[in-house]
Amino acid sequence: MISIEDVSFGYSGEHGTLHDVTLKIRDGECILLCGESGCGKTTVTKLMNGLVPHFTDGCALEGRVSAEGLAVAETELYELAKRVGSVFQNPKSQFFNLDSDSELAFGLENQGAAPDFIRTRLKETVRNLRMEALQGRSIFSMSGGEKQMLAFASVYAMDPAVFVLDEPTANLDEDAVKRLREQLRFLKRQGHTVVIAEHRLWFLDGLIDRAVFLKNGRIERSFSGGEFFSLPERERIDMGLRALTPPDGALPPALPCGAARGLSVEGLACGFGKGEPVLRALSFSAIPGEILAVSGKNGIGKTTLTRCLCGLMRERAGTVRLNGRRLNRKQRAKAAFCVMQDVNHQLFSDSVFGECLLAAPGCTDERVKEVLNRFDLLPFQEKHPMALSGGQKQRLAIATAVLSGKELLIFDEPTSGLDYAHMMEVSSVVRRLADEGRVVLIVTHDREFLRCACDRELELREEGL
Amino acid sequence: MSMQKHLRIDPRTGLLLLVMSNIIAFTQNSFSVETGWILFLCLLAAFCGCGRAAARWLLAFCLLLGLQYYVFPVSAKIIATSFSIFANYTRRMFPCLIVGMLMVKKTPLRDLIVGLRKWHFPQKLIVAVSVTLRYFPAIREEAGYIRDAMKLRKIHGLQKVECLVIPLMISATGTAEELAAAAVTRGIENPAPKTSVVELRLTAADGACILAGVLFTAASCLIR
Amino acid sequence: MASNNLNRGLTGKDLITVGIFSALYFVINFIFMLLGGLHPLIWILMPGFIALFSGIPFMLMCAKVQKPWAVLLMGIITGLIYFVTGQFTVVILVTFVISCALAELARAVTKYGSFQGNTAAFVLFSLGMTGSPLPLWLMRDSFLSQISSQGIPADYLETLKAVSSPAMLIVLFAAPVVGAIFGAYITRGMFKKHFVKAGIV
Repeated sequence: MISIEDVSFGYSGEHGTLHDVTLKIRDGECILLCGESGCGKTTVTKLMNGLVPHFTDGCALEGRVSAEGLAVAETELYELAKRVGSVFQNPKSQFFNLDSDSELAFGLENQGAAPDFIRTRLKETVRNLRMEALQGRSIFSMSGGEKQMLAFASVYAMDPAVFVLDEPTANLDEDAVKRLREQLRFLKRQGHTVVIAEHRLWFLDGLIDRAVFLKNGRIERSFSGGEFFSLPERERIDMGLRALTPPDGALPPALPCGAARGLSVEGLACGFGKGEPVLRALSFSAIPGEILAVSGKNGIGKTTLTRCLCGLMRERAGTVRLNGRRLNRKQRAKAAFCVMQDVNHQLFSDSVFGECLLAAPGCTDERVKEVLNRFDLLPFQEKHPMALSGGQKQRLAIATAVLSGKELLIFDEPTSGLDYAHMMEVSSVVRRLADEGRVVLIVTHDREFLRCACDRELELREEGL
Repeated sequence: MSMQKHLRIDPRTGLLLLVMSNIIAFTQNSFSVETGWILFLCLLAAFCGCGRAAARWLLAFCLLLGLQYYVFPVSAKIIATSFSIFANYTRRMFPCLIVGMLMVKKTPLRDLIVGLRKWHFPQKLIVAVSVTLRYFPAIREEAGYIRDAMKLRKIHGLQKVECLVIPLMISATGTAEELAAAAVTRGIENPAPKTSVVELRLTAADGACILAGVLFTAASCLIR
Repeated sequence: MASNNLNRGLTGKDLITVGIFSALYFVINFIFMLLGGLHPLIWILMPGFIALFSGIPFMLMCAKVQKPWAVLLMGIITGLIYFVTGQFTVVILVTFVISCALAELARAVTKYGSFQGNTAAFVLFSLGMTGSPLPLWLMRDSFLSQISSQGIPADYLETLKAVSSPAMLIVLFAAPVVGAIFGAYITRGMFKKHFVKAGIV
């Protein structure tokens, strides 16, 4: 049982992250917290797992929160951790050990549980969550989905009564999302209480008992699971929520190789070192004005293709042509740009304006301002790139590519963890880039985005195409 | 698993061998003790499954000796004076390097941690060290992404250093925050004595290694 | 809540922050240490070079963890990794413990927040790396007698004695002091240019 009574909350320096939030969650209930980015749903999860107020310096908290009979504000985090388990958004920053077995035992070892008990519990965990394949692995050989599953399992091993998940699917592909769905279903059957804050919603159909919709730090509406998933499309969009049904339907396939304009890839093979090629005999075209989605399972070679097309990696065989001209690796690095999944890695300057000049040293100030204006970044030109929001950073990276005259733009998972409004924003930006005559490729496993933003789809499968 | 066929030494034995290698490096004066100790460690490495590496260490040691006895005395003064002391130091460090390599290759991080815990190293130090070791691969991964991004952006010269370092540092602060949130919600601050699934046991082999180490150390101190 | 935390000593979050920045410090340190393998003279100056370039992780750590024992922890971690991987002698652990204890003192006196205080702490901290070439002097006599027995000409030996003289020892200790002071100013520049503006400190 979790009870939040009349809670108002603000982080340091700002006010009003939450207003008068009251929420009671019964034992064994499965609750969805939804709403736009910044609506306060993550903060609500922190009220329950104690990160607010224990882990947040200088915050202002009013009201009372209790979880499993413990008053959160007065309980040490390590006591709370035994009853309330937390899974976070970023699979990369949730583990402490270099191998999966140590990671699973981590929570119980911290509690000082008896080694025999830990061993029994770990066996149970592996069996119940069907994660035999993850035993004895090095963390760095694991995909994002596998890491997230491990994070989930290591919380499960501690056997908390309550599970709090904050955007657990932000970095997961569809298969991993489905696996998470099965695991949540299992938790419910075992009688655990589950609280999940999410943007992606369709996979929770039939799973949640209640959906709580937050807006500007207030609980606006509350639905039963059935009511929520039968919301009319219109209302759903007005609320700024992403699709409630699994996105399906296919796009037309990618054009065959040989397009005179745009990108034409013929018989491409790539691989690392002396190993087996990751890609072989891949052929397709992408023409200006159209947006080509690149999809496929994790580990199928999407990243390898991106790196090869951007000239970060040599091809083993095949040709890459842009507007009919064959490009070698170095020429590709000049003509192509990749907006990375973690855009923080590709912004270097101390101001937005400086970032643009760094990308295109010969550019006039007017031209830079024009481009910044087009991407709604002009008001922030003096700001440090790292002080921008995620979406702004993404647009800044695009602006640098446009300024340096890149013709081929590749986006690597541009919508991971985005809400409906931001997803639509990315979609309109890429559409504009295509309309201006650039060749745009989008690597994504977000099928909802793929359906709404792309024109054709290149699905990578085993054995090339 | 081929690991099972090889000898496994306890991390605590490894640490003791390191300490003794240090004492021997500072005290030894006898050529036979020195070579004996190195031969012993190479043999140990070979039993632990690092046969090739052990052979390489032996070869390197012979080369170094050749350099010191036959090359330096007859080479140009600038070379001999520059590298004599250096070569001597490297030679003294050989046992440490061999044990160090063995630790890096054959000791899982968690075993080392359990070993340190058994010796009552402060828990706070252990937490911090394990985070450090866990973060090394992450630095490599991130530096790779940042270098890729720089290649797409024509960044040259000294600018490269700044462009590599700043994102690394900024991302480190972010990771520290996220990792800490995950850590405290899994009870890392729990004052209860930590337990471990791994149980370390000193075997006869460990005893033999320690005994050999003690004998060599004593010999090194006594033989002048 | 916040004041309560201050009294509690290093929290889990502090330990993780120290751990992560120690990793970054160690990587920078290690890259320069590899260069030190090129020539002994470079090696002797190496603690100075390291101090010049490793100010950022140290100062960021100081900014994030304004509490006792953080610097000592960072020094012990560095010394311990070098020791356990067999790259340096136990001397490096000893020098790091001594220099970090002094650095802790400097931070305690200056209340952890000031640039001058943290610079002083960084200078002292950087002296810890002198433990890497220091055995050259600690073992000097033993080295020289061993080298002379290897049949090296007598005038060579005289030069060697001069190179490993106490005067060079002064160079060894002066280099990190100079390097750390310059390093601290470079770091301050980077703080102003990036970290403060980006809102992370």
